[in-house]
Amino acid sequence: MTEVLAHKGRALTPEETEQLLRDRLGDHVQQAVVEYGVFTLWISPDGWLDAARTCRDERLLAYDMFDSLFGVDARGDGIDVVAVLYSTSTGNRIALRARCEGGREAPSLPSVTEVYRGAEWMERETYDMFGVDFSGHPGLEPRILTVENFEGWPLRKDFHLASRVAKPWPGVAEPVELDEEGNKIERERTIGDAPGPYELDKAMAEQAKVVNAPPPAPAVEPEAQPAEPLEGQPPGAADSPAPDSADTTDGSEAGGDPAARAKAKADERRKRQAEARAAKARARAEKAKQAEAAPAAEEDVAPAAEAAPAAEQPKAGSGTEAPDEDEDPRVAARRKRQAEARAARAKARADKAAGSGGGVAGDATSSAPQAPAETVTEASDTAAEPAGSGTEAPDEDEDPRVAARRKRQAEARAARAKARADKAAGSGGGVAGDATSSAPQAPAETVTEASDTAAEPAAAEPAREQSAAGESSPPDDPAAAAKAKAEARRKRQAELRAARAKARAEKAEQSETDGEEDA
Amino acid sequence: MSDLDVREEVLAGTAPGEDVAIEFSGDGDFRTADMSLSIGPAHPATHGVFRIVLEMDGERVRDARPVIGYMHRGFEKLAEHRDYRQIFALVNRHDWLSGFSNELGAALAVEKLMEFEVPDRAQWIRMLIAEWNRILNHLMFIGSYALELGAITPMFYAFREREEIQHLLESATGGRLHFTYNQVGGLKIDLPKGFLAESDQLTSLVRSRFPDYVDLVLGNEIFHGRTKGVGPLPLDVALSIGVSGPTLQATGLPEDPRVTEPYLKYSEIDVEVPVGENGDAFDRFYCLLHRIRVSLDIIDQIHDHIPAGPVNTKLPKMVKAPEGATYVRTENPLGQLGYWLESDGGRTPWRLKMRTPSFSNVQAIPYLMRGQLLPDAISILGSVFFVVGDIDR
Repeated sequence: MTEVLAHKGRALTPEETEQLLRDRLGDHVQQAVVEYGVFTLWISPDGWLDAARTCRDERLLAYDMFDSLFGVDARGDGIDVVAVLYSTSTGNRIALRARCEGGREAPSLPSVTEVYRGAEWMERETYDMFGVDFSGHPGLEPRILTVENFEGWPLRKDFHLASRVAKPWPGVAEPVELDEEGNKIERERTIGDAPGPYELDKAMAEQAKVVNAPPPAPAVEPEAQPAEPLEGQPPGAADSPAPDSADTTDGSEAGGDPAARAKAKADERRKRQAEARAAKARARAEKAKQAEAAPAAEEDVAPAAEAAPAAEQPKAGSGTEAPDEDEDPRVAARRKRQAEARAARAKARADKAAGSGGGVAGDATSSAPQAPAETVTEASDTAAEPAGSGTEAPDEDEDPRVAARRKRQAEARAARAKARADKAAGSGGGVAGDATSSAPQAPAETVTEASDTAAEPAAAEPAREQSAAGESSPPDDPAAAAKAKAEARRKRQAELRAARAKARAEKAEQSETDGEEDA
Repeated sequence: MSDLDVREEVLAGTAPGEDVAIEFSGDGDFRTADMSLSIGPAHPATHGVFRIVLEMDGERVRDARPVIGYMHRGFEKLAEHRDYRQIFALVNRHDWLSGFSNELGAALAVEKLMEFEVPDRAQWIRMLIAEWNRILNHLMFIGSYALELGAITPMFYAFREREEIQHLLESATGGRLHFTYNQVGGLKIDLPKGFLAESDQLTSLVRSRFPDYVDLVLGNEIFHGRTKGVGPLPLDVALSIGVSGPTLQATGLPEDPRVTEPYLKYSEIDVEVPVGENGDAFDRFYCLLHRIRVSLDIIDQIHDHIPAGPVNTKLPKMVKAPEGATYVRTENPLGQLGYWLESDGGRTPWRLKMRTPSFSNVQAIPYLMRGQLLPDAISILGSVFFVVGDIDR
């Protein structure tokens, strides 16, 4: 060790330290910052190794203890590397900081392992987490913390947290998303910056849902359409239709006016509650029937009939907005095919249930043939519905990709509903006798629900599009921007309320199913 | 006896067709082929999933290569997705034997960045709990290190005290391992009634039992034989690696942030730093053991100082740190814990680097083990006190 002249009483101030290092390193010292009690000295990548050596060997500095070395994501500017050094003789600490050469693609920096032994693992970790190549390091591979075949650089901001991709943040908004007043924070994006974690994760979660859902039965037309670049649109908004489509909407009372939207939501909620009530009533009837052990297939039909008008309510509401006849024929054809497929599936299920139930109790099966007919009606409703909601966003020049997306979502929902129905049918079928009578009912019900939920995004979508259009335009009027934000907030809250109501309805349905199983 | 005769003799003892891994050198001696010995990832001597690959030349370790990362949970990434108030539940988990001390550093970093004034009472209570946590941690290592060297009894003694300390801390924090007692601007809740009296009683109880450990472990001849002169670490190497805590103090340097860079109210009390002489396994253990005594003295002083008043401050609805970066280091039970906290002005940290003591201390293992005998390797491994979660984060 070199002789150390420094001691506690002769510790250099940050200014003196900077001056000394400028004398030794010249232009390699870029900038000195003292903030929050930390003295940070920016060094050019070329002077990195010399700076570390000077800090250790300079007898007035004597930074003998190697504290740590790590990377920091510097957005579009690349990756920063910080080395924290400490002097046990003076009690000073310095943070050397350099911006790696090579940007985000191939960041590199000289290794300081020959100066400080402790840098070996720290640099390996920085390589593992940020992909910084330290030239002169004895061996950055194998990766120190992650598994050997791991791909990507986990601590970079463009590497997304896997748990958030699988399951979005359970709250209303991510911590990063809102400011004090609950407004969304708009941050300018730079190269290499991640899209907002929430937006992107949500999008990926949606995608995962579609991918994980069972494949739809009808043949899907090739969706790989040449991407049409839309001028003046951020890449994230490429999927939404052109902004003018929202402006030219005539029947935008429902889409644009928050009050009308809220009303629609409230209607929907009331409808769901009615449905839940009907379901409970049905469960009670079921029990009563079992107690009597009398053939009462009519009772089964009655609650269903009760539920059916409730289901028609929103359809009528959206139907008044003049269904569009100029819908894309291909879309219509596809929808028809899907409806047919659904009907066929429902029929198959009903047949199966009838087969199992028939052997046990003839009376009970009497209601089984009822189900397919019902299902078909509902399914055709589903097909009609998007046409009704189509007015909210003009269909003449509706983007085929938007239609495709809507279709996918509807399919995914239908598939989920089917899974639920299958489950219900399975459990119902397993119990002999009267219980089977309720099994065929379930598909019809769930399909109804699917058709309901299919209406939902259609209503929500124009609003979203509008807000997207509003966001993409420069906010020249602050008052208007504030108003738009407030509107967006109200919309989110309304959506949240609707979601809660839906959850409650589903719960009621679930408890009904459980009751059947118990029976 | 010529080379050839030795060869004949050796071969005579083996079954036909069996491969003999013996090489003959020119002067007639023979040496065994090098062997690679993998200890872990699940081995009792490693306190967790930690693996070390030893290149053996007979009984002697030629090289040691720690393999880490089995417990990497990505805390630094997770912290970037959490509100400043939520990160405490994350950071107290990397070193599961010193939950409170881990939180403390993070709280200090956030408060430094937000320029928050923490009430005096909260600062004193933080010190109090941190010192109890330190004792809790050290007791664990006293028990486990002795266990690795073949002594079972100290473990029972250590857990006798640990249980009572945990009971005390549970009464204040509600937790036994992950306290989550800190929050931005102070503590979650004030101490329960009668806590200080109980704490005082427990201090005298632990102090009265402290000689048991000294007699039981340090007074043991076998312990001396297994640790004295084993794995000495020179000061300059220790500093160059970044070793801290009892491992650094064993080399003779009284470096302890509580003294050299006081945080909280440590500047108002006396903190003794026990130091070793040779930096060997014995000295490391000696420092660890005597840090318990020092902590008991500190707790006594805190009892005399602790003022009345609030323990937390009202937080704004949104906790946001201004743009900038700060670095806070505290003396964790195992060494220096540093948090580099960088904010972009949002509600979550932009970067939270955890500079954990175990990560740096374990880096010294290859240096310490080279040239040592295999049984000493176990002795060295245990004497560099580490927690695997603290290495991998």
